[in-house]
Amino acid sequence: MIEQEHLIDLQHISKDYDGVTVLDDINLYIRKKEFVTLLGPSGCGKTTTLRIIAGFETPSSGKLLFEGKDILDIPPYKRRVNTVFQKYALFPHLNVFDNIAFGLKLKKMPKDEIKRRVQSMLELVNLTGYEKRHVDALSGGQQQRIAIARSLVNEPEVLLLDEPLGALDLKLRKEMQLELKSMQQRLGITFLYVTHDQEEALTMSDTIVVMRDGHILQIGDPKHIYDEPANAFVADFIGESNIFRGTMVRDELVAFAGREFPCVDFGFGENVPVDVVVRPEDITVVGEDVGQLVGTIRSVLFKGVHYEMIIDCGEYTFKVHSTTMQPQGSRVGLSIVPFNIHIMRPMDTPKREAADDAV
Amino acid sequence: MRYNVSLPWWAYAVMGLGLAVFIGLVGLSIRRNHGIKRSLFSAPYTMWMILFTILPCILIAYYAFTDTAGNFTLDNFRTFWDSNSEMKKLVGEEYAASIPRGTVNVDTLVYSLWMAFLCTVISLLLGYPAALFMADRQMKLGASIVVLFVIPMWMNFLLRTIAWMSLLEDNGLINMMLNAMGFKSVRLMYNSGAVLLGMVYNYLPFMVFPIYTSLSKQNPSLHEAAADLGCSPMQTLTKVTMPLSLPGVISGITMVFMPSVTTFFIPRVLGGGNTMMFGDLIESKFLTEGNWNGGSALSLIMMLLILISLSILRKADPNGEGSGIV
Repeated sequence: MIEQEHLIDLQHISKDYDGVTVLDDINLYIRKKEFVTLLGPSGCGKTTTLRIIAGFETPSSGKLLFEGKDILDIPPYKRRVNTVFQKYALFPHLNVFDNIAFGLKLKKMPKDEIKRRVQSMLELVNLTGYEKRHVDALSGGQQQRIAIARSLVNEPEVLLLDEPLGALDLKLRKEMQLELKSMQQRLGITFLYVTHDQEEALTMSDTIVVMRDGHILQIGDPKHIYDEPANAFVADFIGESNIFRGTMVRDELVAFAGREFPCVDFGFGENVPVDVVVRPEDITVVGEDVGQLVGTIRSVLFKGVHYEMIIDCGEYTFKVHSTTMQPQGSRVGLSIVPFNIHIMRPMDTPKREAADDAV
Repeated sequence: MRYNVSLPWWAYAVMGLGLAVFIGLVGLSIRRNHGIKRSLFSAPYTMWMILFTILPCILIAYYAFTDTAGNFTLDNFRTFWDSNSEMKKLVGEEYAASIPRGTVNVDTLVYSLWMAFLCTVISLLLGYPAALFMADRQMKLGASIVVLFVIPMWMNFLLRTIAWMSLLEDNGLINMMLNAMGFKSVRLMYNSGAVLLGMVYNYLPFMVFPIYTSLSKQNPSLHEAAADLGCSPMQTLTKVTMPLSLPGVISGITMVFMPSVTTFFIPRVLGGGNTMMFGDLIESKFLTEGNWNGGSALSLIMMLLILISLSILRKADPNGEGSGIV
């Protein structure tokens, strides 16, 4: 029964470009009305995945099901999905009205119906009265909203968004994030969103798919991904992290950074190498005499809401976020509660090096 | 009718002065500009324009409105409308009745315009698909087609045209091949078709390259966006690719039509004299008849026609996105 609510199913999708594997056995389903984000660094295959669903790319192998039917042979113009392109791709020879009406005119919809729909779309994106404007005369944010309106007016089953906010400044981006999310909820359309911005992903998504090197590393809701990263790469990519190589001494005891810490994880076995992740905000700065570790503050940066302190404890370095500041050079103690120590199995050996580079 | 080709002494003085100013300003603009207005830097080019573009135009206008003695007259234009009156002078009044009424010059002009129009249309029809292939990123052949269009341009224009002769003439390559296959020879040259072929052959690159440039500048995601919104490949071509390439088409049309109207030499070689065009007419007025006044009048009419066609084209491309020549 669960199968029925899958709108899109990617089954064993792989893609090679001239012998280079871009996507390797991707399996993913997207439910109706879900906001799914493909998140990963550039070159991870997220845009390729989106383009396969849009029909601009053909996978080397695998199946793409839309409501249970394979649509790989259906050309893009017959698929019930619409795309919002990274650089908007508005038609420069048409004005705002004709850009939005483009898809409807192709469907030979009656003129007044087109007019009505374009009007209500412009209302939705807060650009009423812009019909006759030339698209080049609009700001980035306005062009963005026209691009979204141009796609949404066709009432697609799925809206594909390829880093649509990448070209906007920070403030506008945050506003648009909220707008997009509320639009998606109001209209009840499935969104598949591609971004490399983890904050964007956390803010908007129902489900985040973390990708790297053509693989899916983890699928889950934002909170789950943040709190329970599947491996060190995800932990590092989502938010900031202190990542160490450690050893699971036994259940609920892990050794890293030169000493043993009590933790809550178990079932790894005894004396097994593991990755240890501690979020900077989960480390408490305490007095020198009561800390589990003792270190010297190398640098202090003011980040707005909090201070970021880099603390050297012997050969190990910790990044700590705190709302209170300790002066540079002072000796402090660090304390981590067992619940905040995340233990994960090391990633496959060949990818290990890349993960270290990322850290 | 002897013409005094040499100019009066003051004309040489003006030119000499112009040249001096030109050289002086070039020298100045090379030095750092202390206390010199920036606009002065364009002076050499202004001077160049005056000397080699505006001055000749004025001279042509002067010749067109004067007779051999330098007196004001409109006769040169009158003979354009009724070119037979010239012939009357030649054969004498008593034979005038035997000369058919009509205006050879006007007929030639109409013929030239018609040929130029055909040449432009054919170039567009042949050139647009070629430009599409060249600009198609998925077509690996694109670059080699560009080379194919460029290579003939390494050869001299006259040579290229004469080369066609050896292909088309009665004992030419094509007829030889036809004979070898057992067909009879076909008359390929000495008609308007051959002239048109020569014109299209020579001017096609001027149609292809502006279109190619405007096509290859197009953002490929616009084509994807069109497909995404429901355009079949054909609809994408007509609704997005073609309208966006309009500036290129317009400058292509300009670059083919203008030289086509003034074509000369090609008709003489491939048309065998039966198909005189306006360019040939002007040329023969100047060089064969030595009639500078008549030739200038024809040139002026030609310039006027080109100006009119340019302003029509400019209307079609109000943003002036076509190349700078429009």
